Amino acid sequence: MTRTPRTLVVVGHGMVGHRLVEHLRAHDRHGTWRVVVLAEEPRPAYNRVALSSYLEGKSAADITLADHEFLSDPLVDLRTAAPATGIDRRARTVTTADGTVTHYDALVLATGSRPFVPPVPGHDLPGCFVYRTFDDLDAIRAAAREGRPGVVVGGGLLGLEAADALRLLGVRPHVVELAPRLMPLQLDEGGARVLARLVGDLGLRVHCKTAVQAVRARADGRACGVTLTDGSTLDAELVVFSAGVRPRDELAGPAGLATGERGGFLVGDRCRTEDPRIWAVGECAAVRGRTYGLVAPGYRMAELVADQLLGRPGTRFAEPDTSAKLKLLGVDVASFGDAHAETEGALEYVLRDDTAGTYAKVVLGPDGRVLLGGVLAGDASAYRTLRALVGRELTTPPDRLLSGAGLGGPPPRAREPAAA
Amino acid sequence: MPASNHVLVVGHGPAAHRLVERVRHHGHRGPVTALGAEPRPAYNRVLLTSLLGGTLTAEDLKLPDPPDGVRVRTGVTATAVDRARRLVHTDTGETHPYDHLVLATGARPRIPHLPGLLTADGGLTEGATALRTLADCERLADGPVVVLGAGVLGTETTLALLRAGRDVTLVHPGPHPMDDRLDDMAGALLADHLRSRGAHLRLRRAAAEYRPGKLALDDREILRADALVLCTGVEPETALARRAGLAVRTGVVVDRHLRTNDPRVHAIGDCAEFDGEAPGLVTTTWEQAETLARILSGEEAHHRADRPVVRLKAPGIDLACLGPPDPPGATRHVTLSDPARGRYARLALSGERILGGVLIGLPRATAAVGQLYERGLPVPSDRLGLLLGTAATERPASVELPDEAVLCHCNHVTKGDLLRAWRAGARDLPGVAVATRATTGCGGCADDVRLVLASATGGNSDP
Repeated sequence: MTRTPRTLVVVGHGMVGHRLVEHLRAHDRHGTWRVVVLAEEPRPAYNRVALSSYLEGKSAADITLADHEFLSDPLVDLRTAAPATGIDRRARTVTTADGTVTHYDALVLATGSRPFVPPVPGHDLPGCFVYRTFDDLDAIRAAAREGRPGVVVGGGLLGLEAADALRLLGVRPHVVELAPRLMPLQLDEGGARVLARLVGDLGLRVHCKTAVQAVRARADGRACGVTLTDGSTLDAELVVFSAGVRPRDELAGPAGLATGERGGFLVGDRCRTEDPRIWAVGECAAVRGRTYGLVAPGYRMAELVADQLLGRPGTRFAEPDTSAKLKLLGVDVASFGDAHAETEGALEYVLRDDTAGTYAKVVLGPDGRVLLGGVLAGDASAYRTLRALVGRELTTPPDRLLSGAGLGGPPPRAREPAAA
Repeated sequence: MPASNHVLVVGHGPAAHRLVERVRHHGHRGPVTALGAEPRPAYNRVLLTSLLGGTLTAEDLKLPDPPDGVRVRTGVTATAVDRARRLVHTDTGETHPYDHLVLATGARPRIPHLPGLLTADGGLTEGATALRTLADCERLADGPVVVLGAGVLGTETTLALLRAGRDVTLVHPGPHPMDDRLDDMAGALLADHLRSRGAHLRLRRAAAEYRPGKLALDDREILRADALVLCTGVEPETALARRAGLAVRTGVVVDRHLRTNDPRVHAIGDCAEFDGEAPGLVTTTWEQAETLARILSGEEAHHRADRPVVRLKAPGIDLACLGPPDPPGATRHVTLSDPARGRYARLALSGERILGGVLIGLPRATAAVGQLYERGLPVPSDRLGLLLGTAATERPASVELPDEAVLCHCNHVTKGDLLRAWRAGARDLPGVAVATRATTGCGGCADDVRLVLASATGGNSDP
């Protein structure tokens, strides 16, 4: 059966957009789809989660996701530095910045998100950065000077990675976090206490429960420090904003597509917008109104949309795994499943070893048997095992599962490869 | 041991009562005399709060009569010890000789410095009372009650008075009840429990002034206080020992043979200080009475600083404290929290040994963990199973406990006592209660007692 393939346009070539194309091409044995990928950045998709390793000496090529097979696939037309600027739903076309108009039979929006920069005075001074792309990292590297202080705004997963990156560049980083603890979304108090000690050992200076009120400028207009809401000041030649992200949904309004209350293209649990030819996946998608900032749920969305395009038995987007592991040298911190024991009737079981400097919490169902989630700090070697057991009844007592993790025996120090 | 072996005990509270009973048990044959200051026979002071709660009567608190040959003089206060002549003088003009003198004078309530609390003659103002004796309980006025101090006694008293339908306000300077023993989480659970029973809590507050019927707090709040109960701690009663020239610090100082600096004078119970501690705990008293009874009967025995488990005696909440909230030397901490069911446990470990902890709402684990703690045994590797009572292979049921393990802490009934009662024909809870008084205190041991009975019945199908 030979038929002219239909055209799928994917707006955005980040990790999720790439996964969608890969998955589609892997299963589209009859070549029913031709794919046009519109990338905003001048390079193909790369592993953004591993971006920090770029500063540790890896090259851009080391973390690219697009291999030769992908780049030479005749049914994939990758257009880099071609940001989409408009959608005409009636004509079923997408316009890019250079004026090119591309027709689609199906359209997937995978525009990702942008770093949120709080609109404080001085936030746009020279010396202020975000931490999201290769270009951002190149700019930070150019501005970094050995031994000088820097400030990272945001003590979440990404903020700590950014702070560690500054440290590797020789900058002495401060971390400013509004919440009372680091990684507030993932960690409980006990885990965050261990984390604060570990990153303190690395040389990061942590300031919790406060926020940046203004970025101060030198006479020449470059950033030279920040003023915090508690009135104190920090010197800083570099200010990196890593205070969360906002979905890139600016194509929605002009195209008449609905957005979620907190932004993002509004989609149902099959990731489809109200227009049956348009889907949204990844960080730009508001699935039943909720956005997800981790790559794992994004991958799930990519796969289930690709399956729909291929007419494969479809699945719906289920409550995703929001497990997370911090990837800093010598800092083992992870959280998985229901880390905050939000499940009705859940119980928490905590093991803390002050000699080993470890903290481990498991959250169990009301019967004390089914594993719901947990937090590991100081030693996260049980992470893979425990994460895989979430939702199941534990047949091995948690003490034993964790004692293999160094809360008893010697800690096997395995470094997690860079993937979420 | 001298041929003449007259044991004279000053005091007739639980310590003295236990001692004279055990002295006879261990075969001492000489004369034994006890001088009780209170006008009535010995009773179980530990159960006074059950009396307030209405679950027991004064009659129920009575301790068994002393063994034959033990002479008890009630309503007699010892006023002086003549160590040279080995004589004790009393306020009734009597003189009692001794070969061995045992001070079991107990402790007296600490009266706080509070304007208006004392009358001109130094007594307590009308409406105010401590809670140490049956007379104190009988003195308690009707109407709204304010309890000062949320230690173990203040907390138990509050819960007991609430059970009796009283309106109770508990005033405590700490951030939560029993903050000398409980960490914040456990303290918050206990505070919740008190509130759920209807207590009005005034935490981080101190009393500023008392007038009959009214108590002013340091934030100027005025509480109605038809009765004011002082649960502000106790101090060892050492006046007699001091006058006799014996070594006294906080309590009467004793060595491991419970001997003062005069080898013929001993001290046990709340008045005694061993190894720098005068813990004021009934479990310590029982242990010392037993040890001294052996010594006075000629056996080789010595007292060890024990590791007491402090239990809150109140129906509806199982709370046990092991050691201080943050024991020095603890490097591992195990915490279980189950807020939905009001359960909480925290163990502080050094290696596998328990140095301290708190258990709330986990009666099965309390029995097992308490035994491990008291005996200094290592915790099993499945610590969650231990706390939840689900450990399959390491189930620490009380049936596997040694005979001397105390199961009813209120009445100091051991597993061996229960088995003896079973062999004598007691087959159910009421039966052993009559025979041993087990379960007649706070009732918290009922499950353990049932387990022992079931295993005795199951394992010994009657011949």
